[in-house]
Amino acid sequence: MRGISLDQLRENIDIAFDALRVSKLRSGLTILGVVIGVATVMTMATIVQGVRDQILNTISVAGPSTFYVMRVFNTTPVNPDDLPKWIRIRPALIAEEADRISQIPQIEYAGIWAQIQLRLDYQGARTQSIAGFGADDRYQEIQGGELIEGRWFTKAELRSGAPVIVIQEAQARRIFGRIDPIGKTIVAGGRPVQVVGLYQPPANIFSPPGQEIGAVFPFEFVTHNFHIDKTNALFICVKPRPSVSVADAMDAVTIEMRSMRKLRPADHNNFDLMSQSQILDTFTSITDIFFLVMLVLASVALMVGGIGVMAIMMVSVTARTREIGVRKALGATRRDILLQFLIEAATLTGIGGVLGILVGLTAGRGVTSLMNIEANTPVGLTLVAVAVSVAIGLIFGVIPARRAARMNPVEALRYE
Amino acid sequence: MSPHTDDVALSTTAERAAVVQAAGAQPDKDWVIVTRGLKREYDMGGEIVRALRGVDLAIRRNEYVAIMGPSGSGKSTFMNLIGCLDTPNAGEYWLSGELVSQKNDDELARVRNKEIGFVFQTFNLLPRASALHNVELPLVYAGIGSAERKERAMEALTKVQLDNRATHRPNELSGGQRQRVAIARALVNRPSILLADEPTGNLDSTTSEEIMKVFENLAETGQTVIMVTHEPDIAAHARRVVVLRDGLIASDERKENFTSKLGL
Repeated sequence: MRGISLDQLRENIDIAFDALRVSKLRSGLTILGVVIGVATVMTMATIVQGVRDQILNTISVAGPSTFYVMRVFNTTPVNPDDLPKWIRIRPALIAEEADRISQIPQIEYAGIWAQIQLRLDYQGARTQSIAGFGADDRYQEIQGGELIEGRWFTKAELRSGAPVIVIQEAQARRIFGRIDPIGKTIVAGGRPVQVVGLYQPPANIFSPPGQEIGAVFPFEFVTHNFHIDKTNALFICVKPRPSVSVADAMDAVTIEMRSMRKLRPADHNNFDLMSQSQILDTFTSITDIFFLVMLVLASVALMVGGIGVMAIMMVSVTARTREIGVRKALGATRRDILLQFLIEAATLTGIGGVLGILVGLTAGRGVTSLMNIEANTPVGLTLVAVAVSVAIGLIFGVIPARRAARMNPVEALRYE
Repeated sequence: MSPHTDDVALSTTAERAAVVQAAGAQPDKDWVIVTRGLKREYDMGGEIVRALRGVDLAIRRNEYVAIMGPSGSGKSTFMNLIGCLDTPNAGEYWLSGELVSQKNDDELARVRNKEIGFVFQTFNLLPRASALHNVELPLVYAGIGSAERKERAMEALTKVQLDNRATHRPNELSGGQRQRVAIARALVNRPSILLADEPTGNLDSTTSEEIMKVFENLAETGQTVIMVTHEPDIAAHARRVVVLRDGLIASDERKENFTSKLGL
C-alpha cells in the first residue's frame, strides 16, 4: 500500500469537515456515544489522578516512614463483631508495649495513642463531631504540620493528664471567630479543657472534612476522662530512625511484639502493622478496580458510538453516491475513495474524542475542586483518548468506506 | 476553418478501415481512439441485453466527433466504454496507443484521470466546493501539490473566462457558467480527449450556443472532442458524426455529407 501524503490528508480532512458542517445535528448525535465514553474515562482519570497525587504528597509530608501497630487493620470497614474468633480474641495494645518498642535500636519513636470522637464547645458555638487524638508532645514531629500559636504540652502535663488541648486552627476559628483562643477554657466532649496551642495539620487525604484530627490531648487525659474502646481506639505510632528502612523497622517491631506476647513460631501475629505504603497499595488496588469498571463501561459507550458512526457513514455514502461517481470519473481510485471516507469517520470520532476530553477534564476539575484537591491533567491518557477515538472511526468506518470505494462509477453517476 | 482543411484533418475511410481491422495490433499514437469489435452485454434479471454488438471505430487526434443515436441505441454504453468508466465483454479498446479494455478498476481510474476530461449533462460539480476547487479535483487525484494545482486550475478557469468567479460556489453561478467550470475541470489535466455527454441538455438555446462556441474553440486549438448527443443541431457543430443504432454503427460521416443530409 502506498503511503498517504500530508497534502492528501489535509484535503480529506477538509472534505470531512465540510461534510460535517452540512449535517451538524446528525453528526453531533452520532458522536455522542464517543463523547460520553471519553468524557467518563477522563473524568474518572482526573479524579483518581488528583486523589493519588494528594496521597503521595501527604505521605511525603507526613513522613513515609511512620507506621502503626494496631489490634486489627482492615482495608475496608467491617463490623467488629463479624470478625473471625482468632482476631476477636486478640489482646488490646498497652503502653508498656509502646515503651518496649521505643527501646529497639532501629526505632526513633514509639508511643501509644488513642483516637476519640468529640465536639468542641465555646460559649454555645460548637463544632461538628471531630476526631481527637490522645498523644504526646512529639505529635507534630511524627505527624507533620506546624504549630501556629501557643505551645505543645509540657512533660508534666503529659504525665498528669492535665486538661489541656491543642486544637486545629480551622476548628478554633469556627468556635472562636476573631477571639484569641489561647488560654481560653472550652468544653471538649463534655469536659472543660484549656486551649494551649493552635495547630495546622498537613493536607491529608486520609481524613476527609469533618474527620480531620481537630484536637490533640495528652494521652493520659484521654484515657482517664473519656470512655475508650480499648480494643480499637488504641494504636502504637512508630517512627524508625532515619537510616533504617521501613521494612527493617517493621520486622524489628514484629519480633519485639511477638516476644512480648510470647507467641510460638507456629502462631499467627495477634496484632497488625499498617504502613503508609500499605494504605497507598490499598488505595491503588481499589482505584485499579474502579478504573477497570470505568474502562468496560467506556468501551461499551465507545462501541455504541462506533456503531452510530458506522450507521451514519452508511447513510452519508448513499447520499453522496453521485459525488463518489464524479470523483471516480475524475480519476479517484478505490483507495482514494476509501481514504476519504475513513478519514471522514476518523475526523468525526476524533472530534467526539476531543469534546469528550474537554467535558471530562472540566467535570473532573469540578469534582476535585469540590473535594478540595488539586487536579493534574492526565496528559498520557489524553493522548490515548484521542488515539482511541480516531481508531474507533477508522475501525467502524471500514465497512461504509469499502462500500463507497467499490461503487461502480457508471451506476454512481446515474444515481439520483 | 474551411470544410476543406477539415477533410485533411479527418481520417480517410480506407486508413480508418485498415486501423480498425488490424486486430491485436497497436495503432499509431495519433489514433486517439480505436475500438475493434467492442461488445457490451447486460444481464437484466436473466435476460441478456446486448447494448453493443461489435463496434469498430477509429478517431484521430484533433477530431471533433459527435456520437448520435436514439435512446436504446447503445450510445450511453459506448460513451461509458470510451470514457473508461466501464469495460467491454469482448473486443479491444485502444486509447492513445494503449490497450485499456483489459485494465482493472484502479488502472482505469488512472487512465480516466490522465486521458479523459468529462463534461456531463448535469454538470456534476461538487456543490460545497468553490469553482476553483472543483477544477482542482482531477489534479488532486493526479497527486499534484497544492500550489501547482491552484495555478493550473486558475489557468483553466481563465480559458473559459471564469477566472473572476473562482471563489463562487456552483449555486452562485448560472447554468452556462457551471458548464464552463465543468469544461475547465475537464481540461485541467490536459486530457487526450474531451468527452461530453449531452453537454447542453440542461441549458437554454442561447447558453447552449455559448457552450458550443467553447467546444468549437477548443477543437480549433487542437483538442480532440467527442460529444454524445441526440440533438441534431448540437451534433451539427461537430466535423464528424457517428450514428449508432441497435448497438452497431449505422453511419459515420464527415461534416459536408451530414449537413446536407440534415438539410441544414
